[in-house]
Amino acid sequence: MNKKILLQLTKRSTFILIFLLFISFVSSMSLFQKAFAAEEAPAQTSKEGGVAAPGVELPQFDASVLAAAPAAVAGQPATGTGTTTAAVEEEEVGPVQYRTFFGIDSRVVVWIVSELHLMFAAFVLGVPIFAVIVEIVGFKGGDIKYDKMAKEFTKLLSAAFATTASLGGLLGFCLFGLYPEFMGHMTNVFAPTMYVYALMFFGEAFTLYGYYYSWEILKGTALRKWFHIMLGVMLNLFGTGLMFLTNSWATYMMSPAGIVPTTGKVLSLYHAMYNPLWMPVNIHRLIANVCFGGFVVGAYAAVKFLGSKSEEEKAHYDWMGYVGNFIGVGALIPLPFAGYWLGREVYSSSPVMGNIMMGGAFSWTFIVQAILIGMLFIGANYYLWLGMGRIKGSERYTKFIKYLIFVIFMCFAVWLTPHNLPLSGEERAMIGEQYHPFSKYFGVMAAKNAVVNLIILATFFSFLIYRRSNKGELAPFSEQGRAGKIGIFSAVIFCLLMLVSYAVSLNFVELEANIKSFVKPLIGALYIQSFFICFAAFLTFKNKGKLAQSMLFAVTACIAVLYFWYYGFQVMQKANLVLRYLSVTQVSIVMSCLIMNAIIDIFMFRKAKLVGGIVWGKMPVRSQYALILLCVVIVILMGLMGFIRSGLRMDWHIYGVLQDTSQWAYTPTLSYMGRIVGLIVALFLGLVAFVFWLANLGDKKKSEKAEEYEDAVVGYEKH
Amino acid sequence: MAYKRRKFLLIWVITAAICLFLFLKYVSPKVFQVLMAKGHPMPTPSTLMMWYMIMGVLAGLVYATTSNQKFADFLGFLLPDSGPKIKILLQKLLFVGFPVIVGWFVYTWSIPGAASPVELRIQHPTLPQEFEKLDNPFRQADAETQRKCIEEGKILFQTYCRPCHGSKADGNGPFANSFRLRPINFQDPGTIATVVDNYLFWRIKEGGPGLPTESTPWDSAMPSWKDDLKDDEIWKIIMGEYDTAGVMPRQREKLE
Repeated sequence: MNKKILLQLTKRSTFILIFLLFISFVSSMSLFQKAFAAEEAPAQTSKEGGVAAPGVELPQFDASVLAAAPAAVAGQPATGTGTTTAAVEEEEVGPVQYRTFFGIDSRVVVWIVSELHLMFAAFVLGVPIFAVIVEIVGFKGGDIKYDKMAKEFTKLLSAAFATTASLGGLLGFCLFGLYPEFMGHMTNVFAPTMYVYALMFFGEAFTLYGYYYSWEILKGTALRKWFHIMLGVMLNLFGTGLMFLTNSWATYMMSPAGIVPTTGKVLSLYHAMYNPLWMPVNIHRLIANVCFGGFVVGAYAAVKFLGSKSEEEKAHYDWMGYVGNFIGVGALIPLPFAGYWLGREVYSSSPVMGNIMMGGAFSWTFIVQAILIGMLFIGANYYLWLGMGRIKGSERYTKFIKYLIFVIFMCFAVWLTPHNLPLSGEERAMIGEQYHPFSKYFGVMAAKNAVVNLIILATFFSFLIYRRSNKGELAPFSEQGRAGKIGIFSAVIFCLLMLVSYAVSLNFVELEANIKSFVKPLIGALYIQSFFICFAAFLTFKNKGKLAQSMLFAVTACIAVLYFWYYGFQVMQKANLVLRYLSVTQVSIVMSCLIMNAIIDIFMFRKAKLVGGIVWGKMPVRSQYALILLCVVIVILMGLMGFIRSGLRMDWHIYGVLQDTSQWAYTPTLSYMGRIVGLIVALFLGLVAFVFWLANLGDKKKSEKAEEYEDAVVGYEKH
Repeated sequence: MAYKRRKFLLIWVITAAICLFLFLKYVSPKVFQVLMAKGHPMPTPSTLMMWYMIMGVLAGLVYATTSNQKFADFLGFLLPDSGPKIKILLQKLLFVGFPVIVGWFVYTWSIPGAASPVELRIQHPTLPQEFEKLDNPFRQADAETQRKCIEEGKILFQTYCRPCHGSKADGNGPFANSFRLRPINFQDPGTIATVVDNYLFWRIKEGGPGLPTESTPWDSAMPSWKDDLKDDEIWKIIMGEYDTAGVMPRQREKLE
């Protein structure tokens, strides 16, 4: 009884813990304020005051020859010129560069509105991708459960869509109103694409509402269902197209191309769109949207689970939460790779921007990012481990959990160790040199890449043991028939194509001979992995699939984690141009392991005997709070990364082309950023909760009416 | 044994946290002293200590809550029931020890003391854009000229930089010990190997006085060499410096 009371107590305390975590993120930013306290005061001072902006030194690139030179700051409302006459006089002097929003910091207004728009847009673009996939799975498998869930996803989508559009409109007005000169430049370059954007928006709206409202009408025949699925695919195509278009505008601001920098004359719209950072951002956002959507849906299911009154309802939302988490984790796994590519291209487009990002003014935001990503991986794994409790037969695998915790937390420790530690003078004197060994060996990219790959492998392992918890004795591989053989062969061919083609291409990279010698071990590693992929397939055919999987895990961990951790240091010292090839090799090896092991697992356990069923709904309450935590963390992460991506431009609207000469052209301090991002997160979560509540109002009414009707029928029968 | 392990889960978690603390506080400084052949221990910085401890405790709590049974066992240790004598003893120890430890932490954090503030350093201050566009003129020369420049640069390095940065560019020059923050060890792969030539050009030319205002105060005692060295000499020193340290500068990458 006492234990029950204690457990009850912890249910409430878990909720409080999540709330406190959110609050602590916001307040922890204030701790950094101390370090930046010296700059806090000038932070509020305008540039005209002649005080340097806080946080960063402002770049001096060609500022004198630009159209938006500091002299032109006169376009801003000057102090004490609040009268109508003054405003009229000012307008006569020249075009308005900046306006304010009822005296509020214009940058903050645009920051909040654009981030909220982006978060809703991420949800609206991410959810249809997996809604359609779930619908196809339900249709092909004949399971109505999947169809129901896909429809529920879409219901949330249609509710969020209108809010996204409203925020988008507000953002447009804010930008045109508050930053007219900047938007003039953008319109000058991108005007044709803006019309395309507006037209595509019609497509998005029509297909979305068509997809949702025709759900029941287009049921019945296979042809109708396929037509409905096609609508979903079209919806995704329009959504992705819209995102790619807007990404070209945003990335143009970071790495402008296709124009004459000094005059702003457009030379090539194609190059302005297809600027160096466009594709890396497209890919990164596409994956991140799915991840974001998955975790938000997971949190929605968790809230519904917590409020469920019947076992049936609990089971449904438990399953929905599981699917949301599965989607979130599935997309989270490739996300670090896409992020690394984007980061590398940022460095390639401008070494200064790269330095600001990883080693300069934004380096501490990446430590916060590391903490948040670590929390995502831990939260997702924790949910899987708790989920094993609802599967009979999982006891055989729970012994692995402690090792997984050890590995994941060790990796997390390395992952967040900064290269430059905050040290007191005494500590610095005692250490006696710039770097403590922990930061020296854990703080650099070679170590980070190694551990993130190990975290991914460990998360995948968690999923494998979760998956096979319900499975007992295996059927011999010969019983899998042609499907098994084709499946394994396909996986082998795919992996070999990926590994060998990359190994071959590495032979032809154009590098100096002394640097090129550092590429050879990478080629060797790719061939070794290829050999073990083939060997794993051979072992699987010989009914030794588990051995094959273990071997692949071991070989991958040895090459991609241990060896490349060491080799990364070598390359950093002697041939940093090889780093980009090293990271791709690392990713390819890890991906091949994940793909091959997943396929082996699918066919190995396809006809395995079931040990017991999965009891959906039998989940501890803390698992649902884990889902909510994952949602809060990914929202904070998106807010933070939005700040980093945009802030890297420093005091430029368009990097190196159009300078920001407003009074807000300084990089905010970490504490200030924390407060604004905290506000955005709170606003987004509040709005999402409100919108989802609205979306469910209709259902509530329907169920209440049904209950009233049933009561009336019962009453009538009694009389 | 398995029963004991289950019922004493809370104690195991606490023991693991204490072991981690002892490792970070006493073992790791000694281990690094031996591994790095230092004459003194390498204490774990307080910030890192705090982060690692938080993670250690979090890992223990995650483990203790991965199943309802474990969670109940974990909390159940605190409940009064008829267990072995050692359990009752440990319970009493816990009820007395926990407030004492918390009190001790509060006391040590709140007593007034003199300590320099912890600085949130930024590794690479932002390179001014006027330096971004520069190119080392000697990197494009033929092999023989490059070799010559490197040799000249090495001589210049030994003349101007060696006193602080050392003859091997390892940060162990004759003056190194006189600085509160020792000169950088350029052999470390996380230092000059991570930046482009121009970054060093800026640092040598402007030195400590030319550092930006961000994250001040900077501890750099690096002098500004712009009045003493010509640009060509600085470029040569950079080439000689990389060669002496045995590392390569970060190369500009081609965009894909």
